[in-house]
Amino acid sequence: MAESLVRVESVSHTFPAPEGGKEVLALDAIDMEIRQGEMVAFIGPSGCGKSTLLNVIGGMIAPTSGAALVSGQAVRGPLPKQIAYIFQESALLPWATVLDNIKVGLEFQGVPKDERGPIASAALKSVGLEAFAASYPHQLSGGMKQRVALARALSLRTDILLMDEPFAALDEQTRMIFGEDLSRLLASERKTIILVTHSLAEAVLLADRIFVFTSRPGRIKAVLTIDEPHPRTPDFMTSQRFSELRNELYELLRDEVLAAIGNDRQGLS
Amino acid sequence: MSLQSSRLPHPMVTRIAVIIGLLILWEIFGRMGTSLFFSPFSKVVMSGHEIFYEPEVRRALLTTSGVLALAFILSLALGLVLGLSIAMSKFTYQTFMPVLLLLYAIPQITILPLFVLYFGNGPASKIAFGVSHGMFPVAVSVIAGVQGIKPILLTSAASMGATRAQIFRRITLPYLVPSLFTGMRLASTAALLGVLLAELYASAGGVGHFTRRFSETFQPDKLYALIGALAIMAIVINESMRRLEKRFSKWR
Ligand SMILES: Nc1ncnc2c1ncn2[C@@H]1O[C@H](COP(=O)(O)OP(=O)(O)OP(=O)(O)O)[C@@H](O)[C@H]1O
Ligand SMILES: [Mg+2]
Repeated sequence: MAESLVRVESVSHTFPAPEGGKEVLALDAIDMEIRQGEMVAFIGPSGCGKSTLLNVIGGMIAPTSGAALVSGQAVRGPLPKQIAYIFQESALLPWATVLDNIKVGLEFQGVPKDERGPIASAALKSVGLEAFAASYPHQLSGGMKQRVALARALSLRTDILLMDEPFAALDEQTRMIFGEDLSRLLASERKTIILVTHSLAEAVLLADRIFVFTSRPGRIKAVLTIDEPHPRTPDFMTSQRFSELRNELYELLRDEVLAAIGNDRQGLS
Repeated sequence: MSLQSSRLPHPMVTRIAVIIGLLILWEIFGRMGTSLFFSPFSKVVMSGHEIFYEPEVRRALLTTSGVLALAFILSLALGLVLGLSIAMSKFTYQTFMPVLLLLYAIPQITILPLFVLYFGNGPASKIAFGVSHGMFPVAVSVIAGVQGIKPILLTSAASMGATRAQIFRRITLPYLVPSLFTGMRLASTAALLGVLLAELYASAGGVGHFTRRFSETFQPDKLYALIGALAIMAIVINESMRRLEKRFSKWR
């Protein structure tokens, strides 16, 4: 077994109480190991703590207890050289062109000025958007914007890519095409990827392992292994195995989603 | 073109028509009343322009423009610094924003005598009074601008390793440009008001002083010509800033 690149050691996180409310236990003693080059998906009911765990791993949130480790080192803050993010909503600067958006990311990361242009152009090319280098984000479709976000994340040349529902704002067809693109890209890049998603099909299509979360407080209910080489093709998506895996995942999730809805109702009354 | 523009005349045409209509009304009312207080448009144009050959008036226009330019630049600088310091953190915002709004709400004309006491009755008090009018709208717009920055942009920048200085340069400043222009336009009008008020009530020179003199000596045609010059000044400032703003907001 390859060594683990990301380790989560009994991470718990409690958000402080909002005025008049009670504090929220978002994560409860999570343990996990993610190997170099692995693609994992987090799936679970809304509000179960998936984004929180992703942000703990990315160094954006310090957990109340426990720790995340990257390459054996405890995470204490953002690690721009090792971890890149793609967010659900567009995090592109609206006043900068597509190419400048990628260049600014490289500037933040500390890449010398004369290297930024070539790296940015190459990244844009890898997602097939080199023709839109001079466009502004508002001139792109939602799917194109997320591809630019992907290009920016790739340009940072990190070992780890964290994606928090990067396709959530896209329509079903676009996201599946995007998913295939991603699968192909990943097969060639050997990155370690954590993808938060609500889509069963997406998780099965993309992930090597799927972590199924319980309703809040988030714990790992089950880990589903998808033993299928990348890149994964439309053939896999239409196969019998695909729908079996998808159904298995659905069974695991159903109870938790119902529990989560019950939770929220109680919270309201 | 849209359905609307195919049915209605171009806004420019209607706009000019409205302005002409107002001038005609002015002419009619100007001919009806006494010429002591009011003057028809034609008379303002025909005889009012004479004032611009009087060296005193010319000097006054020059003084006021100079004072206004200085007041405007200072308003911009102070308003920007004030706004950025208040918007810097939640703590400073919650502490100082209510105070700023309170100060902004004070009708400042009531404390004009204080300005004269501190700065004398020369250009210094005019500049100070102009700045005290002009800097608040700049500060308030800057604060509103900073508040409007999408948190995801800051989160994303932090994840890529941006320093505070880089965030300021690459995100805060460019994001501020449109609100800064709004603030500048408000500030130019406000600073003009401050300067004129100071000239009207407290100083011996400048355009404000002459508007008072012309109205007290019942020369309405000259008064309106002078006001016209002021209006043109205001319009030119406003328009040039609008152009500048457009150039900087291509991305919207
Ligand atoms: N900044 C915060 N302050 C207070 N509570 C928070 C904060 N962020 C998240 N929470 C709470 O922590 C819990 C977990 O949130 P989190 O965003 O991790 O859920 P999630 O699994 O990503 O949900 P979703 O699928 O809807 O994105 C939620 O109940 C949420 O209300
Ligand atoms: Mg989330």
